[in-house]
Amino acid sequence: MSVRVVGHRDATYRLHGSLNQCQYTVTSATFVSGSGPDLCAIIGSEATTGMKLVEALEVLRNSPPAESPLLEIQLACGFTPLHLQTFLGAHLRRLFPKHRVSITTGAFGDLTGNLERLSQLEGGTVVAVVEWKDLDPRLGIRILGGWKPSQLNEFAETVHAHAERLLAAIEILAGKNIVALALPTLPIPPVAFTPGWCMSQLEGELLGSRANLSSRLSNLSGVRIASQQKLDVVSPIADRFDAKAELNTGFPYSLVHADKLSELLASIVNNPQPKKGLITDLDNTFWFGILGEVSPEGVSWDLDHHTLRHGLYQQLLASLAESGVLIGIASKNDPALVEEAFRQRQPVLEQEQIFPIVANWGPKSESVRRIIEAWNIGTDSVVFVDDSPLELAEVQAAHPGIECILFPKDDDKAAYELLFQLRDKFGKTAVTAEDGLRLESLRASAAIAMAGRGEGYTPERFLQEAGGKLAVSFVRNPPDPRALELINKTNQFNLNGKRHTEASWQKYLANPNAFLMVAAYEDKFGPLGKIAVMAGRAEDGTVAIDHWVMSCRAFSRRIEHGCIQKVFAKFGVREASFDYVKTERNQPVLDFFRELKKTEVSSLSKQELDANCPAVYLEIQER
Amino acid sequence: MNEIQDRLDRYFAAVFSDLPEAQIRSASVESEKGWDSVASATLITAIEEGFDFDTAAELTPYSAIAPALQS
Repeated sequence: MSVRVVGHRDATYRLHGSLNQCQYTVTSATFVSGSGPDLCAIIGSEATTGMKLVEALEVLRNSPPAESPLLEIQLACGFTPLHLQTFLGAHLRRLFPKHRVSITTGAFGDLTGNLERLSQLEGGTVVAVVEWKDLDPRLGIRILGGWKPSQLNEFAETVHAHAERLLAAIEILAGKNIVALALPTLPIPPVAFTPGWCMSQLEGELLGSRANLSSRLSNLSGVRIASQQKLDVVSPIADRFDAKAELNTGFPYSLVHADKLSELLASIVNNPQPKKGLITDLDNTFWFGILGEVSPEGVSWDLDHHTLRHGLYQQLLASLAESGVLIGIASKNDPALVEEAFRQRQPVLEQEQIFPIVANWGPKSESVRRIIEAWNIGTDSVVFVDDSPLELAEVQAAHPGIECILFPKDDDKAAYELLFQLRDKFGKTAVTAEDGLRLESLRASAAIAMAGRGEGYTPERFLQEAGGKLAVSFVRNPPDPRALELINKTNQFNLNGKRHTEASWQKYLANPNAFLMVAAYEDKFGPLGKIAVMAGRAEDGTVAIDHWVMSCRAFSRRIEHGCIQKVFAKFGVREASFDYVKTERNQPVLDFFRELKKTEVSSLSKQELDANCPAVYLEIQER
Repeated sequence: MNEIQDRLDRYFAAVFSDLPEAQIRSASVESEKGWDSVASATLITAIEEGFDFDTAAELTPYSAIAPALQS
C-alpha cells in the first residue's frame, strides 16, 4: 500500500498595493504535514506523491522541439488560472512527452462566457473547471453579496439558472470537441444559518444541482467528468481551499489541490488505452483453497467460509469480461479437476467467459505464453494475477512486458483495494459492440486453427468455405469512435504505429480530402465486428494512406487484401502511397506487402495488386 | 548561505525561464522584464512551498530573499 503524505502550507502573506507592484511581505509561515486518508490506497492505489510547483515549472521549461506536435488546450475557469494552468501543463507534458503543450485561458470571473466564446471550436480539447461561485458569485469570498437567511432562497434559483446556461454552453461544445470537466470541488462557504455539522437546505440543493449537472453532462458525447470520489481520496476536501490565495490573488486552490485536480484532468485528456487481457491463477486467487487437496467441494468464495474476497474478485472479472476484457486462467492443476470444479461449483465468472483455461503442472510462464498466443496480443496489454510471489517472479522473468500483481489472499482490505486497481487498469469510457464480440471471435480463431490440423484441410479451402463478408463504411462525420480506438491500440498490423488524441483525430478528418474506411467482418463462425480501419487522403488521382490498422483477431482471412482492393475500387485510382514506418511489432504489414512481391512499402500500383494478390473470397459490401 | 542560494537559484530559474544563470542572483523587478504580477505570485508561492521559514521578508529582489531564507 502506498501512503501519500500531504504537505499543507498554512502561510500568510500580505500584498502591498497591487499585484503589479510585486511587493510581497511574508508575515508568518508554518508547515504542517500529515498523512492522507487510508482510503487513498483504495481508490487510486497508485496515487502518486504530489508534484511541487517548482517541479511543475521545471517540467514546462523542458519543452520538446518546435517541430513537435502541438497539444492545444482551452482552459475555461472563472478564477485566475495561475497554478492550475502550471500544474495542468506539467501533467499534460508528462502524459504527452512528445507534444508541446499550449494552454489558452479566458476572461477572469466568466466561466460560462468563456465556454460560450468557444462555441465555434471544432476538434479541440477543452478543460472546464466549475466552482460554486461560477454558479452564484455569492458562493465565493471575493464578493460581499450577502449571506442573510432571507436571501438564501435566491441562491438555489441563481444556481439553477447558471447551471442551465453552463449546460447549454457545454452541449454546444460536446460532440465537436473533447470536454474534460471538473464540477464544484471546493467546500461551500458558511452561507447558511445552520451549524457546520448539520446539512443545510442550501447545501442539499447545491449538491443536488451538482449531481443533476453530472448526470446530464455525463450523457453527452465527448464530455468526461472528473470523478468526485477519486478526487475526495487524492485531494481531501479540507485541504483544497486556500482562502489567503483566493483573497490576495483570486486563485482559490491550495497547491496540493491544484496539483491533484490537474492530474485528474490531464488523465481525462490523455484517456489512456486500457489493458486488454487478464490472466489469473485459480487456487487461493480465483477461489480459496487448493483444488488438488480439497476437491471441487472444498474450494470457496463465500461469506460462510470468510472467503468472499475471492467471490468479489470473480465478480469484478465477470464485469471486465462482459466489457470486452479477455480473461484467461493459468493454473498448476489437474485440467480434469478444474473442469469438474467449474461444472459443479459454477463460479460467479462463468467458464464461458474465460478463454483459454490452461491447467497443467508445467511452468506458469509457459501457460501464460500459450494464453497470450491464443489472444494474439502484446504482453504489455496483459495483467497476471497470482497469490504466489514465486510464480509472479517466474512469469515476470519470462515475459517482462506483463504487469504482475500479487493477489492478497489473507487480506480482505488489500483484496478490496485490488478491485479498484484492476478497474483502473481495464477501465474504459464506453463499452462497444466489438467488446461483446471479442471473446467469441477468439474462440472462432482457435476453432479455425484446430480445423487447420484436420485431414484434407487447406487454408485455401477454409477461406473458400468460410463465407466471409466484409462490410465497409466511408462515413467520417461523425467519425466512428471504434476507428480511433483501433488506431490507438493496434500494434501488429499497423502501418506506422502513429497515434492520435481525440482532438488531433477530429482535426485530421476535417481535411476535405480525407477519407475514413471502417471495415466489419463476419463469416460462418460468427461476427468479428469492426476490425479494420484505413484513413488517408484521396487527391490528384492517387490515394495516400496515412493510417491502416487491423485487429489481430482478423488475421488469416485476407481482410487486408479485401480492404486495399476496396479502396482502389472506391476511388478509381491507379496508385496508392503508404506512410509506412517500421515499428517493433508491425512485421505483419511488411509480410502483407512481401506477399504482393513488394520489396518496399511506400507505394502500390493497381497493376501490382491485381497481378500478385491471392484470391479474396470475401463478399464486400459498402454501407 | 551558499546552499540556500543554490536552492533559490533553482526557483528563479524555474519561474524566469529566459533568465541566464549568471544573472539570477542579481535579478530584481527592475532588471527582469518577465517579473510581472503572475511571475511574482508564482515565485512567492513556489518559495513558500519549497522553503520552511517563518520570518518576515521582502520578497524582492533576489538579494533580499536569500538572507531572509538563511535567517
